[in-house]
Amino acid sequence: MAGAAHPEAMAPLKKGATRTAPPQTPASWWGAPRVRTYLLFGATGIVYLLAGGVVWHLAWALGKGPDAWATALRGLSNPLYILFHLVTLVSLIFVGVRAFGTMMPKMQPRGGPLPVLAPGVVKAVIFGAWAAITCLLATILAGGIF
Amino acid sequence: MKQLLLRFEPVIWLLFGAGLSIGTMLLTGFVLIVGLAIPLGVVPADALSYERAHMLASNVIGRLVLLGLIALPLWKGAHHLRSLSIDFNGEARDGAVGGLLYLVAIIGSVGGILAVVRL
Repeated sequence: MAGAAHPEAMAPLKKGATRTAPPQTPASWWGAPRVRTYLLFGATGIVYLLAGGVVWHLAWALGKGPDAWATALRGLSNPLYILFHLVTLVSLIFVGVRAFGTMMPKMQPRGGPLPVLAPGVVKAVIFGAWAAITCLLATILAGGIF
Repeated sequence: MKQLLLRFEPVIWLLFGAGLSIGTMLLTGFVLIVGLAIPLGVVPADALSYERAHMLASNVIGRLVLLGLIALPLWKGAHHLRSLSIDFNGEARDGAVGGLLYLVAIIGSVGGILAVVRL
């Protein structure tokens, strides 16, 4: 019985000019709209890292006492902080809409004990939870309850 | 380092996923009120006077929420920046970059635990 053929057995002896060039990433790969959105989604990581740092700063000031807390809270009125928080809010909405609305409905475990829900149902549940948590936390922090 | 990161990949993904979902849900209300509404005068600063802020943050639920607000965004941020670094620089320096970013997230998380414990 003949052995397996060599994978290159049918290849021409010399590589011809028409041979397909190896794939190369174009220099402007990051400029394509779909890729740009994906990269922006990743770049929100910088905002999240800084936002975590700001919350830590506030929590630490709260632990230090009334004076440190008042100073930290006053510091948030700095235009740079306000600009940062505007960028953070835009980033949060961008991440939420992309992750909760586009990605998570497709990321349901399949083949397990739980039923696979319709994308609309998943979106409604997650967006509902996001809205509820945001409203609850905002109301508490604004002095509406407690 | 790369091997170590691969070993802890499930934990990293768990924290990243929590940061992406729970972190986003918690941060939205926090940024709206503490970052924007109070500094812009839409909500009076008395809403977060020291006594009230301490009362809200120092119970068990308050501490957990505060820790979530500190640590979870750090893990989301670290993992996403690592992905971005791979996209632009390839895998060659992934071990060093990923290690450094997760180290920042670990230090921040420990700092967060200390911050909520001393309230």
